[in-house]
Amino acid sequence: MNVGPSRGGQPDASKARGLVGAATIETDSSAVDIRYGQVGLVHVRIRTTDPGKLLDDLTGRVAAAPHFFRRTAVCLELAALETPATVPEVQAVVDALRRAGMLAVGLAGDPDAVGGLSMALNLPILSSFRAPNRPVPVVQPAEAAAPAPVTASPSAQANASPEGLVAAQIHQQPVRSGQRVYGRNRDLIVTAAVGAGAEVMADGCLHVYGSLRGRAMAGAHGETSARIFCQEFYAELISIAGIFRVFETIPSELAGKPVQAWLAGEDLRLARIG
Amino acid sequence: MAETIVVTSGKGGVGKTTTSASIAVGLAQRGKRVAVIDFDIGLRNLDLIMGCERRVVYDFVNVIQGDCQLKQALIKDRRIETLFVLAASQTRDKDALTSDGVKRVLDELSAEGFDYIICDSPAGIEKGAHLAMYFADQAVVVVNPEVSSVRDSDRILGLLASRTQRAEQGNGGVKEHLLLTRYSPRRVATGEMMSVQDVKEILGLDVVGVVPESPDVLQASNAGVPVILNDNSDAARAYEDAVARLLGENVPFRFVEEPKKGFFARLLGR
Repeated sequence: MNVGPSRGGQPDASKARGLVGAATIETDSSAVDIRYGQVGLVHVRIRTTDPGKLLDDLTGRVAAAPHFFRRTAVCLELAALETPATVPEVQAVVDALRRAGMLAVGLAGDPDAVGGLSMALNLPILSSFRAPNRPVPVVQPAEAAAPAPVTASPSAQANASPEGLVAAQIHQQPVRSGQRVYGRNRDLIVTAAVGAGAEVMADGCLHVYGSLRGRAMAGAHGETSARIFCQEFYAELISIAGIFRVFETIPSELAGKPVQAWLAGEDLRLARIG
Repeated sequence: MAETIVVTSGKGGVGKTTTSASIAVGLAQRGKRVAVIDFDIGLRNLDLIMGCERRVVYDFVNVIQGDCQLKQALIKDRRIETLFVLAASQTRDKDALTSDGVKRVLDELSAEGFDYIICDSPAGIEKGAHLAMYFADQAVVVVNPEVSSVRDSDRILGLLASRTQRAEQGNGGVKEHLLLTRYSPRRVATGEMMSVQDVKEILGLDVVGVVPESPDVLQASNAGVPVILNDNSDAARAYEDAVARLLGENVPFRFVEEPKKGFFARLLGR
């Protein structure tokens, strides 16, 4: 398959939780083929950096499922630590995991928080995609749709100079099946339909003034205040800051209606607009 | 300067070759000089549908590789004198096609005074399909009113908008037309089949023709006579309407409504 038009360029962070990359960069006679693939990756979220405690905890689990702990690739998540970890502490954790049979291949989290660790330990930063921990009603009552007003494009401004406004990326053609459009470091506005099998992503908010039938991912690098707005909701998958929901069936209250999606803590919520 | 029209779909078996043949005949019947080329190297069937399969001496790949002159490979249609067929090779495969080779052939056809070049694309999105659409000015995307065909056509529309010469050079892009085939108004009415409106909504394009499901199409393939030449067929009339619309005429859509049953048919429960 070949790369579709992507005004915003391809995202460079690889996905931890198996999001489809439909792009292949093909060169006929080169020594290397580079392609995006689908990867299922185990997440390890630690609550302490004490290697002893980690190994004690893991030993029991290894005994119960030894086949799982055979150089299993894992993504290390540090967000649950009470205080930010230092490089030597994380290195000790990585070593402990290796002794338990897991190989850390990446760090999950916000580039600002784990950037230094990533550089020092030579581990890539992977966006974390986590399904909700418990069932949450998909459709919220109308009142919940009017929370505290979100300041204009906070994520877009976070990566630009404090005074500067990063203009949203505007895409006016239909996004066809197999194409991917990515608004890097800003909001993405699409003024046509997003087809089934297409992907629209933004580091900021995502607006689709048309029917949304594919996958929509906002806050792609971890901005939890990012939202998704669409005019006709038929999405296959919605994700904000890595927290995603797949829609095997579209709830009848939302199907074909204007809908917005946002994160309330760790819950992904959707509601009709207007 | 010839107008190059690719007939493509993504999905296989929806009616590309049937459509290529009928559109080529329809245009030629109006006096245009038309060449229709089979890009399905290795699985050729345009020549079968056109009824000239026993007259293929040289094929598209022979021309590209310089084994013969273009004139030697073009097969003149016995029914319409301004219509010519360039068959695909049966023994080679798509790797024998090159971008330069295809461009040379299309340029030569244009220089020979052809008004329209119809490129019959193979199914899929690999090299054969890619080269069939790459130099196109217009595209007829053939769609069956069912979900996989619509999804594949969406993909093809994306490729037409990005991986063609016109898209890359920014001169207006390829002009896209949707052609619905195997349409059954009765099944649409019972909700089994997607309607024209459904397809238009998902793909976001207007429809240039709706061809009804018809047993005449199978007979046409068997006989090697493009269905548009059948005087008694709804499918033929639908193709004629599609050709008219391609040429810019405004023609109302036929065969999209369920035919009303006559009084006796209803009385007798038929």
